[in-house]
Amino acid sequence: MRIFLLECKKVILSPVLIGLFLLFTGFNFLVIFNSSDHRAELKMVNEIIDTYGREITPSSLQQFQDDIQNDLLKLQQLTGKRYDSVNDFLEDLDVEEYERYSKQEQAFLSGLQVKEMYESIASSIDENYEEIDIEKEGEVALEQYQLSGKAAETYLAENEKFTKRFDEMIRNGEHKQWFFAGKAYYMHTLLFKDLFSKMTIEILLLVILSTTFLATYEFEQRTHLVAFATQRGRRLMNNKLVASLVMAFVITGLVLGSTLGVFFLVFDYSHVWETSVSSAFNWEYNFPYVSWWDLSFAQFLLGVIGVLFVSVLLISALTFSISLFIKNSYVSFFVTAASFILLYMLPSFMPHSSNWLFVAGYTVPTLVMAIPGLFMGSSGLIFFRNFEWATICSWTAITMGVLMMTYRRFVKSDIQ
Amino acid sequence: MQIVWNEIKKILTWKSLLLLLIINCILYFFLIDFYIKHFPNGRPALDSYRLGIEMIEKYGPTMDDEEFKDFMKTYEVRVKEADRYLQTEKVAVAEGIDTYEKFNSYEWFKASKEAGELRDRLFFEDGTDLFWELQERSRLIGFYEGKEMYSSNATPAQLKRYEELAKEGVFGTYPEVAISNFRDYITNVAVAILFSVVAVMSLAILRDRTRHIVSLQYTARKGRNLLKTKLLAGFVSTLLVITGLLVIYMGLYSLNDTSMYFNVRVNTFIGNESWYNPTFFQYILFTIGGIYLVGIVFGLAAMGFSTIVPNTLTLLGAQIPFVRAFSFSACTD
Repeated sequence: MRIFLLECKKVILSPVLIGLFLLFTGFNFLVIFNSSDHRAELKMVNEIIDTYGREITPSSLQQFQDDIQNDLLKLQQLTGKRYDSVNDFLEDLDVEEYERYSKQEQAFLSGLQVKEMYESIASSIDENYEEIDIEKEGEVALEQYQLSGKAAETYLAENEKFTKRFDEMIRNGEHKQWFFAGKAYYMHTLLFKDLFSKMTIEILLLVILSTTFLATYEFEQRTHLVAFATQRGRRLMNNKLVASLVMAFVITGLVLGSTLGVFFLVFDYSHVWETSVSSAFNWEYNFPYVSWWDLSFAQFLLGVIGVLFVSVLLISALTFSISLFIKNSYVSFFVTAASFILLYMLPSFMPHSSNWLFVAGYTVPTLVMAIPGLFMGSSGLIFFRNFEWATICSWTAITMGVLMMTYRRFVKSDIQ
Repeated sequence: MQIVWNEIKKILTWKSLLLLLIINCILYFFLIDFYIKHFPNGRPALDSYRLGIEMIEKYGPTMDDEEFKDFMKTYEVRVKEADRYLQTEKVAVAEGIDTYEKFNSYEWFKASKEAGELRDRLFFEDGTDLFWELQERSRLIGFYEGKEMYSSNATPAQLKRYEELAKEGVFGTYPEVAISNFRDYITNVAVAILFSVVAVMSLAILRDRTRHIVSLQYTARKGRNLLKTKLLAGFVSTLLVITGLLVIYMGLYSLNDTSMYFNVRVNTFIGNESWYNPTFFQYILFTIGGIYLVGIVFGLAAMGFSTIVPNTLTLLGAQIPFVRAFSFSACTD
């Protein structure tokens, strides 16, 4: 236990790691604050959910539309003219005229504008989802990714399952729940792509640095001849491994905790935790996000965090093996980074006609870099339902095997 | 001298060369490959590239008003060709787009299905470059006609420079595909080279310290002067690394085949107003000089870190923010 604690101390008290952590966190805060212009506008969703409930039913939508009509009447009183939409009014208004209205009236106008936008999205949900033909999308994807032969068969088979899931989602009405308007604010992209990809890379840098540091410490300090000749001997490496994993866990927790904490302080998600992540409002690009399971936003976030934790631990363990093999932290760092990138690029070296193309995607690097599309059936070549758990299980097995082999090799190796 | 040579051998071992190879292969596929493989990138970039060469062959590296009038005349001739082409198409005649002018002003967003198919066929299937080329020609002419419009948020100094250029009769007339491709290419190459320099040079001085042989070295007759020799060896190795990589990357760049553009001055490419007016070739040389300069600065900085830090963890950790900030700013540039 004492050895374990002392090993942890090496990492915790390292000024460089602390400095890097602070720098990264500061950088993340900067990203959050830079994109917080519309945080006040986002609150509209909370109001809507409070008044009309989380699910969009025909009656609640009707009520919402009626209220907008009432607001338009108010607008008529304000301006003395009848408008069908507040946008018509704002269009012929120049800045000076707009400034003449009081702050309250301005807030009313912009609030009405946002409400109208939500209304127009909500009332066109059915229409937009009817246009989606998953089977046709599959054919398009075959062409887009130039799949043929076995790969095309596999893709289409999975796509068929996804068609069923899509119909089921529509029947459940998962898409008819209020969420921040995707095409206006891109909140899913901001959180899961911009922020999470930054955090992932930062966590990986810190974890790889600390793991290589711990694993090669004795060799680099030239204390290995003493350390491995003690009674504890080469089993010291077990303590170091556990310390590396615990430190990886702590680093991940700290980075995620600080950045996400500030993110949710800045952006008020309090009303949308329960909203399904497949909500029609969460539709940002050509195709909406559609998850394989009925996941609420909170469940999706927890799932993503869980996947990230497990992946970081796996990467830490693999880095430990590499370091034990190379015995030099500098080279290990680059070898790990290079293997990460090579594994990530693996699918691009595969022929587009065989199933190897998909198998090559089941890697930890692909998993952590694909966070916005995890658990989704709308995420390109890694849209498989079993992608997450199969990747984690197979790589846990691989990591165990590699660790076992390197440890056995290390125990017998010649230490000079 | 002997010591310098031996120190260089310690820095450029086959292991570090292997590291260089790995780093550059990965960065090449991630950052650089695109600008070689996809040049010119689709249509109408290809037509832009071809037209630029045609202009240079016909009018030389500068164009005056007379020459541009001739260029516009060629456009008219090509438009007539397009007219004749459209008149042979039954669909075009039926839809009332039997001349290129009508074809251009046709309201495509509410076009009939036949007309849409015709357009796709003309552009993508018929194997004629005419319509792409006309688009590109009219874009170039548009730039020429708008040559006296300056960006509204130009600073006074920029406005003065624009007027200066206008007085000399220097306007952006040549298509910018070649130079913008080069600019994207060279920034990514610069990132790769800086990465390589830092990766190879970082260990230079720390290595001896972790081996605990410094006390031995400093008590030898050469004494503490050895540090200077090490720094010199590091400097030479930096130059070697940069030169080697630049030779390879410039060799790869020659695959883009842009040598026809070399004599065109930077300011005569569209949208390229710059403070100085070197030719494209001189511009390439300048950027290479810049890479050497920044590379040497980063190499020396890496050695500086290497002399201060206690271990490799600190060495890597301290340099991550710098390299990241630099490659980030270069990528967004």
